[in-house]
Amino acid sequence: MTVLATRGLSRRFGGLVAVDDVSFDVHAGMIKALIGPNGAGKSTLFNLLTGFDRPDAGDISFLGASILGWAPHRVVRAGIARTFQNTQLFDEMTVAENVLVGMHTCLRAGFAEGSLRLPATKASERAAVEQACRLLRLVGADRFADSPGADVPHGVRRLVEIARALASNPKLLLLDEPAAGLNNAETHALATCLRRIQADGTTILIVEHDMGLVMEISDEIIVLDRGRKIAEGPPLLIQKDAAVIEAYLGEVIADA
Amino acid sequence: MSRRLVGTIAPVLAVMVVLALPLVTTDRYLFKVLTFVGLNLIVVAGLALLFGYAGQISLGHAAFFGIGAYTVGYLTADGAVPWLIATLAATVLAALVGFTLALPMLRLKGHYLGMATLGFSEIMTVLFVEARGITGGNDGLRGIPYPVLGPFKIATPGGVYLLVWITAIIVLVLAGNLVRTRPGRALRALHGAELGAQACGIDTGRLRVQVFALSAGLAGLAGALYASSVGYVSPTTFSLEFSVLLVAMIVLGGTGSIAGPVAACVGLTLLPYVDALIPGLPREAVSFLQDWEADIAGIVMILVLLFAPGGVAGLIRSMTRAGDSR
Ligand SMILES: Nc1ncnc2c1ncn2[C@@H]1O[C@H](COP(=O)(O)OP(=O)(O)OP(=O)(O)O)[C@@H](O)[C@H]1O
Ligand SMILES: [Mg+2]
Repeated sequence: MTVLATRGLSRRFGGLVAVDDVSFDVHAGMIKALIGPNGAGKSTLFNLLTGFDRPDAGDISFLGASILGWAPHRVVRAGIARTFQNTQLFDEMTVAENVLVGMHTCLRAGFAEGSLRLPATKASERAAVEQACRLLRLVGADRFADSPGADVPHGVRRLVEIARALASNPKLLLLDEPAAGLNNAETHALATCLRRIQADGTTILIVEHDMGLVMEISDEIIVLDRGRKIAEGPPLLIQKDAAVIEAYLGEVIADA
Repeated sequence: MSRRLVGTIAPVLAVMVVLALPLVTTDRYLFKVLTFVGLNLIVVAGLALLFGYAGQISLGHAAFFGIGAYTVGYLTADGAVPWLIATLAATVLAALVGFTLALPMLRLKGHYLGMATLGFSEIMTVLFVEARGITGGNDGLRGIPYPVLGPFKIATPGGVYLLVWITAIIVLVLAGNLVRTRPGRALRALHGAELGAQACGIDTGRLRVQVFALSAGLAGLAGALYASSVGYVSPTTFSLEFSVLLVAMIVLGGTGSIAGPVAACVGLTLLPYVDALIPGLPREAVSFLQDWEADIAGIVMILVLLFAPGGVAGLIRSMTRAGDSR
């Protein structure tokens, strides 16, 4: 089953074509990676998919229905959650509260119910707090639960954002460079965590520069270069693709 | 644990003292002054949500207070409309005006939001004077009847005091609940990182309009109670100075807190009345405080912004945190 499909997606900034006629599908249950050199248009593509930016051309469909032009909050409600390359945590709130905000779409209480704090509201709040703790354990950030967002180390901020995104119970999770700022052991833990999320039935689309992680966890890879899709396929084929090596992997492998 | 105990016992004790006061005194002046404190608390509860939690400044809340006051003054004159219905109408009208104003302001932030609400406040000040048929122009409205609840006419200073404070306590309890649940977290998220809030599925535009309308409605409610408590309204009451004083209460009390602004509101509202409340103060000190009240509030606000940006609430938080780690 196709979870996400883009057709002819394009986004121009002045003369620069940041995303250029990109079409691809993401199938249910897979981890798909989106790779490409700096400035290839990966984050721009994420913004288009999540309603933070609008494409100049093309269409996006999620679970068979077009979500083109939807506001970000509607996209989340439909079942797509994301993290940011530049983390957007709520610094004044604790890590646990950050994850609770992520549960916004799952909880009901509006202004009236919230201000009355009836037993039903209290009960769902308690359940939400437990769920937040579970999610923080899953990503391995539970020891920071009570720290203010501002006090959390850089790598952990990305993990908290993953927990916060998962809190909306998404069908599709978009991660923008989740391993940036993590050491080897932490990256390994992240890989395990992503597999568990996958096993729970959540489809993942991940932008990542850490090729070791990408090759280890992804079922399929899309390669972007200067806004264009230059290759798509399973990791083993991508590693051998001449155009990819030319554009991108060559330098990574040469660097390593 | 002990901190939580203090957190629950202190408000309960405060409420008991507030409600028991009419049993131990009949001082009209004291009740009058405390009624003003209670009215300001109702406005401050809304402004704490709007400014302290959601980070949206308003320099126009005196105008919403005025809308509430004039609505009740106009509707209850000659006993045309029952007090309770007039008060509800005043609250709803102020909220509706807030809603209508918030829509076009959605794209504005920070200083621009301040300027827009300031402009609104100035327009309303002119309107309060010029719409003579409704507002009585410069003379204002006089002889506004006391509140009547069913068979009870609340016509004593002590009764009015109780009415206002019971309303204020209810509003503060509701606001305190709100900030601990989903909508309150959404407000804080809006303030913290708007992109992050949107990524959590929060309709930030809708939320901003909601909280603006709510805080405008609460200011309108306070204004409505003010009109029937003092019996008259005149346009000078709803000046920019009052709006700034309200904002100062939030800044001084601290953002992301209800208790802090409550403390600041009590302090700043009582400031001009120190002579009556603390007998024996030298006359010079009293007249100094009264002449310079607005300036003192302004200087305190600047000092707080410079040296303790968290306000009263922030100071208490950092003190208890230092205590915890020891
Ligand atoms: N809002 C914007 N206005 C103008 N240009 C932009 C904007 N956003 C992105 N760009 C440009 O679009 C191109 C693609 O940027 P994008 O951030 O999508 O790249 P990326 O693949 O995520 O790169 P990185 O790996 O460095 O994160 C870059 O040249 C960037 O400068
Ligand atoms: Mg990027």
